[in-house]
Amino acid sequence: MESARRRSRGVNETIVEAVPTLAHSSESETFASLYERTFPRVYAYVASLVRDRAVAEDVTSQAFERAYRRRRTYRAGRGTREAWVFGIARNAALDELRRRRRRATLEADPEDLSAPSPGDLAELSLRRETVRSALGTLEDRERELVALKFMGGLSNAEIARVLGLSESNAGTKLHRTITKLREACHDPA
Amino acid sequence: MTQPEHTPTMHAELRAIDEALATGTITSEDALERELQELTLALQAEGRKPSREFGADLRTRVQAGFPRERRLRRPHLPSLHLPSLRLPLLWKLRRPPLPVMGGVASALVAIAIAVSLSDGGDPSPPSDGDAASERGVIGPEGERPSAPGGAGERQSGKAADTAASAPEPAQRMQAPDIAPEPPTGRTGFAPGARERRIERSASLTLAAPGDRLDRVAEGIVRLTDRHEGFVLRSALSTGDEGTTGGDFELRIPAPRLQRAITELSKLADVRTRTQSGQDVTPEFVSAQERLEGARAERRSLLRRLERAPNDAAAEAIRRRLDLNAGEVRGLRGRVRDLRMRTNYANVTVTLQARDGDGGSTSPDPGDGLGGAVKDALESLSDSVEIAIRVLGVILPLGLLTGAAVLGTRAVRRRRREAALG
Repeated sequence: MESARRRSRGVNETIVEAVPTLAHSSESETFASLYERTFPRVYAYVASLVRDRAVAEDVTSQAFERAYRRRRTYRAGRGTREAWVFGIARNAALDELRRRRRRATLEADPEDLSAPSPGDLAELSLRRETVRSALGTLEDRERELVALKFMGGLSNAEIARVLGLSESNAGTKLHRTITKLREACHDPA
Repeated sequence: MTQPEHTPTMHAELRAIDEALATGTITSEDALERELQELTLALQAEGRKPSREFGADLRTRVQAGFPRERRLRRPHLPSLHLPSLRLPLLWKLRRPPLPVMGGVASALVAIAIAVSLSDGGDPSPPSDGDAASERGVIGPEGERPSAPGGAGERQSGKAADTAASAPEPAQRMQAPDIAPEPPTGRTGFAPGARERRIERSASLTLAAPGDRLDRVAEGIVRLTDRHEGFVLRSALSTGDEGTTGGDFELRIPAPRLQRAITELSKLADVRTRTQSGQDVTPEFVSAQERLEGARAERRSLLRRLERAPNDAAAEAIRRRLDLNAGEVRGLRGRVRDLRMRTNYANVTVTLQARDGDGGSTSPDPGDGLGGAVKDALESLSDSVEIAIRVLGVILPLGLLTGAAVLGTRAVRRRRREAALG
């Protein structure tokens, strides 16, 4: 089976292999394409919440399994499939956080294996440090908003659906958060 | 609750962020927006990437449709040691989702309440007689009554033969001085309550197609049994064309009279319907007092008989005792009769065949197409009535269930989000 490679929109490269078409079920095909579209973003979002690679993998896997089992419960009138999957992932991640009573911070993040080495791009590295420090000043809910928007790649309407807010409220909160983040970048102290 | 801010600047900045996310480049000319787009790309780059191994493993599971692991949990059977007993079906049984269980429970409760309402909830308010009977004006026992002269008649043309649902021998009166009590659902005596004895009677004339007369007659008997009454007399007239009519004399427990009449009216078309009630409380009270007086006199005579000084005096007392016994018997019968008449309503049902249906009487506008339409409308009306009753139960229950579900969701959401601090 031939693999396909796709480049993510960000600075780093993401390698995603195409999911082979499932012959036995069109539903499964639909789910496979949904998985294909959302897997890296869901993982990134979950990882930003749980701050642990192994846990993020468990939770992501659990979220997709739940989504697969409940695929017939999806209703188009309640939002996009992406928002639906992110909602399931969010619940799984929050359940996991609650179980473990983990209040992780970005400072406690494990080393990102895919990050470029400091020697390669010193300026990029410095900028990332600044951004990470700024992220550290955010509250958990604000960081979740950032994760949904920038790592999950959701639209404001989808974020609103996942968080149970109105779209305009989600936009406002996002704007406030990004403003706060920008100010924190300007004033790292 | 704060109102979201809607400013052009905010919209422009959010748009710039979206553009940066969509294109992966910095597109804006505005310095502030450029800065936001740089930040956007930096934040996007912060996203973790899944490992190849994890991606491959999860993809395989997606392809396989997330096969369930066969981890059947044994049910907890602490007192049973059945190692060889396999219960795969039981192990596989999973608890249905909460909304499903809630829905099923609500439906069951609604059905139960609707059934109880339709069965026991007579919408018509009880009359004086009913209320009086329910308050328990009554004798001490609750026996089924006998049917005086309870043999029925069946007339064939001009001749009549007997066919009636007379009460069973076991139901016949046991004690001569105790009148039967109808099943009221309440027992005991209400101290201070005003005791009224109302003798109630009702008369119905029902009309049905000739070929349905037998069925209606059976319905009358069944209905009487259901209300714990009895058929005192019944007669069905038959002619060349089959059953042409009939007469029934029923005894229905007074508290159930209204409901029984309502149900009787549904068996066939009602031609006439009359009801009456007569207050016999004075007669009843008078007879009771006289009976008590006679009994007291009997006790006194017996005491005097024990102390009689000679045979002549004893003989005189015995004669008076004989007279007293006759008086007591008569009064007992009177009290019993009054109780019988007030505890059980007398219902007379005359059954007629409709014109053109092998019978008699006046023309019936309910025949033919018109009758069918009328029947259909009545059926529809009954269905609507049932639906309204069921809705009256389901709607509040549904609202409560909905509120509970929403509340549970809100609480669960809050508990989850508490993990975010």
